[in-house]
Amino acid sequence: MSDDVLIRARDLSVHYPLSGGGLFGPKPVVKAVEGVNLDIAKGSFFGLVGESGSGKTTLGRACLKAAPITRGTVQYTDDEVDYQLTTIDKVQLKDYRSRSQLIFQDPYAALSPRMTVRDIIAEPLEVMGLTKSREETDERVREIAEKCRLNLEHLRRFPHAFSGGQRQRISIARALVSKPHFVVADESVAALDVSIQADVLNLLKEIQQEMGLTFLFISHDLSVVAHVCDHVAVMYLGRLVETAPTRELFNAPRHPYTKALLSAIPSLDPDDAGKAQKLEGEIPSPTNPPPGCKFQTRCPFAIDICRVDEPKLEHSSSGHEVACHRWQELMD
Amino acid sequence: MTDQTNTPSAADQKLKEAYFTASQNQLIWQRFKKNKSALAGAWVLIFLVLSGIFAPFLTPYDPTIAGRDKDYLNGAPQIPSFCDDNGCSMRPFIYTTERTRSIKTNFRWVTETDTSLEGRRYVEFFTEGSSYKYFGITFDTHLFGVDKGMIHIFGTDSTGKDIYSRTLTAINTSMAVGTIGVFIAFVLALAIGGVAGYYGGWIDSALQMITDTVRTIPSIPLFMALAAFIPDVWSAEMRFFFISMVLGLIGWPTLARRIRTHLLTERNQEYVLAAQLCGATPRHVIRRHLLPSFTSYIIVDLVISFPYMVLSETALSFIGLGLKDPVNSLGVMLQNVTSADVLLNYQWYFIPVIFFIILVLAFVFVGDGLRDAADPYSDHK
Amino acid sequence: MTRLLDVENLTLQFDTDEGRITAVDDVSFTLEAGEVMGLVGESGSGKSVTAKSVMKLNPSNAIYGDKTKIMLHLESGSIDIMSLKSSKDLQVVRGGAISLIFQEPMASFAPAITIGNQMVEQLMIHTSMNSKQAQEFSIEMLDRVGISDASTRFKQYAFELSGGMRQRAMIAMALSTKPKLLIADEPTTALDVTIQAQVIDLMKDLVKEFGMGIIFITHDLGVIAQTADKVAVMYLGRLVEQGAVRDVIRNPAHPYTKGLLAALPSLDDLDTPLTPIPGDIPSPLERPPGCVFNTRCSANLGARCSSEIPGFSPVSDSHTVACHLYNEEGAK
Repeated sequence: MSDDVLIRARDLSVHYPLSGGGLFGPKPVVKAVEGVNLDIAKGSFFGLVGESGSGKTTLGRACLKAAPITRGTVQYTDDEVDYQLTTIDKVQLKDYRSRSQLIFQDPYAALSPRMTVRDIIAEPLEVMGLTKSREETDERVREIAEKCRLNLEHLRRFPHAFSGGQRQRISIARALVSKPHFVVADESVAALDVSIQADVLNLLKEIQQEMGLTFLFISHDLSVVAHVCDHVAVMYLGRLVETAPTRELFNAPRHPYTKALLSAIPSLDPDDAGKAQKLEGEIPSPTNPPPGCKFQTRCPFAIDICRVDEPKLEHSSSGHEVACHRWQELMD
Repeated sequence: MTDQTNTPSAADQKLKEAYFTASQNQLIWQRFKKNKSALAGAWVLIFLVLSGIFAPFLTPYDPTIAGRDKDYLNGAPQIPSFCDDNGCSMRPFIYTTERTRSIKTNFRWVTETDTSLEGRRYVEFFTEGSSYKYFGITFDTHLFGVDKGMIHIFGTDSTGKDIYSRTLTAINTSMAVGTIGVFIAFVLALAIGGVAGYYGGWIDSALQMITDTVRTIPSIPLFMALAAFIPDVWSAEMRFFFISMVLGLIGWPTLARRIRTHLLTERNQEYVLAAQLCGATPRHVIRRHLLPSFTSYIIVDLVISFPYMVLSETALSFIGLGLKDPVNSLGVMLQNVTSADVLLNYQWYFIPVIFFIILVLAFVFVGDGLRDAADPYSDHK
Repeated sequence: MTRLLDVENLTLQFDTDEGRITAVDDVSFTLEAGEVMGLVGESGSGKSVTAKSVMKLNPSNAIYGDKTKIMLHLESGSIDIMSLKSSKDLQVVRGGAISLIFQEPMASFAPAITIGNQMVEQLMIHTSMNSKQAQEFSIEMLDRVGISDASTRFKQYAFELSGGMRQRAMIAMALSTKPKLLIADEPTTALDVTIQAQVIDLMKDLVKEFGMGIIFITHDLGVIAQTADKVAVMYLGRLVEQGAVRDVIRNPAHPYTKGLLAALPSLDDLDTPLTPIPGDIPSPLERPPGCVFNTRCSANLGARCSSEIPGFSPVSDSHTVACHLYNEEGAK
């Protein structure tokens, strides 16, 4: 139990009931997240990658208690408080909300078109009652707007006046105005142009260092994650399949899915066609997952045990864990 | 090649800044103004509504039996002219008409027009006439009248009531009925649709079932049943309120459904989630996000509901189940229109219909214009 | 290789409430049969509009420039696209000689009609097949694009297929009329990276087999590097650089292209920081005078760049760039 883990998830599971199903049998569920064990260290920029149906967004929301936790625990520990998210009461939850925030993906949907930028950024302060006067609120809004490189003149404008990149910065300012400790960035640069993406990513890193924040960075884009995160976890169909420090994950991936994911990224070198294997088949639907290891339907290395037994996360090297029956044999 | 002189002038900058700092409602208003047909519709609507409100002033006579012209039954419209064979005059005039019968006409009543100079009756403005009240103050000036006798620019009906006066007051009545009906429907729809949309889940399902049930009841038989229950002893005014209430009670499901949809959509917006993730109370969410988003859509829905109320009332009154004399609406005016006599000989009975078509169309144009202006998708990217 | 498409001086403006917006400004390029051309750009670059102009698919408030000339060269003769006015004339070209694939496959399939019926309908419009022949051919095409169990899928609706399969079905539908030119508008952007890799491979195979020309529109330079033979880079409606894909990516000439490549997080080099292109993409309502990129260009020469539109200069045999830095003899 090290002191500097901010978020500790054990056997975290989020199941959603499906409509339909018999009146007499067990109701079918979608296991959006199943049995996830995760440690997010304080001050880290933790990356969470996966494709559709991986459950990464749901996991992020569960860590914020914005998704119902069906099973397992999530522990939040900072210098001042220690909360067990599955058992906290209303007062503690309210406090937790001021310590944790979410940055959304779509900069066009995340800002109310009817509020000025100043009001949008000030809303968390007002809702949480963190400031006592209008002047104080304005002061804090100005402070964070400057940090996010927003022109102070623009605070009285409405969202329709801004481009995607600028809106995302407003979104970030809103998330940070309450000085949280933990921020979940859910695909926060996916909707932005490439030249703007780099700008927003640099901003996030800068702010993280300045304010000492811990980030959970959710993305489907491995290249982006490789550049900004210090630790990465890979998800597939609700399960964590591999987690490692960034360099190690990209230089020496151990799980077949991670390897395939990395080789699927189109390289900028026109002559560099297809390093390792390309995956065949479709991603199974989360409502109907295959038995055993969830990846076995597409895994080129699947053997009998994979179809029956779901592998658990095993320790591979320092900070590096893999959930695969054959990871040792498949090591290059 | 393209024009590249894009150094922004001060005026351009001001316009841009105005656009950037314009709130959602201001933007909607801007867009609405650009829509020519909607704007025209709005002017027509304002004009007609004002005509209805100021009907007692604008019309020369009392629209009820009290103001009838016994000498000019089923009379054709009398259009004032400026010139005739006897020369022109500065003031517009009409001719004296007289009903006589004699041996010459086989004892049938005929109307004779005296087109001589003496037979002229000049139209006067701001004449004195029957009195009417606004806010307790009695007035008796009317916009125009005639020095002798009466003037009927839209003609008269079988009892001699001036159709022009009746038309304007009918507009007023129909608008009043529509307003009350829309108000009642709105209050009910807000309560039911609001709760359904805000809470969702089983509350929503239950309320939806009720809403759909009421909606599927066929309205005409329902109207007829309710109207048949009205005791004869009720005064015209009571009848008026009752009919308006009935319209509201039948009209709420459509509005409720719309309110529910707006709320459900709005509730799932990401910025609402952002507020909730800060610990916002439902009160805050409703006040800060749901209600403001709501108002622009609801105004559209209300405007569009209006013509339905007006037409429903017209239909009811036409078949005799709605309003009755002396309360006067288009439906009431059309009650006697179905005889062949009228259709063949007294076509001016239909003039009010033109007014109502214009009124309903104006509502529709304005409603459509508002809806297009408030469309969220034209705002995106 | 035979010339398939000639686009000369394509200029397109839209008449909107806010004024006349220039979406495409004097764009010229050529395409040979069997060649894949990548059209790269960010938001507001005009790449989609350019491609749609080839089929005259732009909305009715689009105004083409006077000198705009688009010639499609088929075996049966050359067609002057600009001269085709009625939708009847255009029907020969649209869906027949030229096919279009969209980004969002859900948007291009009618939700209430089965995939099979839509494919058959298209075939019956553009070819002389009867309904039975069209059905057999469609099932064959579905199989050809890698959709397993094609005869069952033929009878299904769009929502019953996964994203990757829908995209393949769309490719099947687009190719069933054996078009000479395929326009693919961000076909893989909405797909997971492992599925994207499959679809890219599929398209490369089909190009070889059918010998069509493809205009591949995307913002993803990695995808272009893997699929295209030549690439054209667009910014705010102007073509800024064109050339063989190896040349442009390995040896970018235009400051924008360089900036774009530098801003891309690449897995090959995790140590270099991400360098965004400074500033924001100007709105099409506020196109800068002179060179459209001058407001964000670090190599801005001053007065010349902000007043004079640069013409094309050669960088090498098949590589041209529109930049004043290359205009002078011996400069840079």
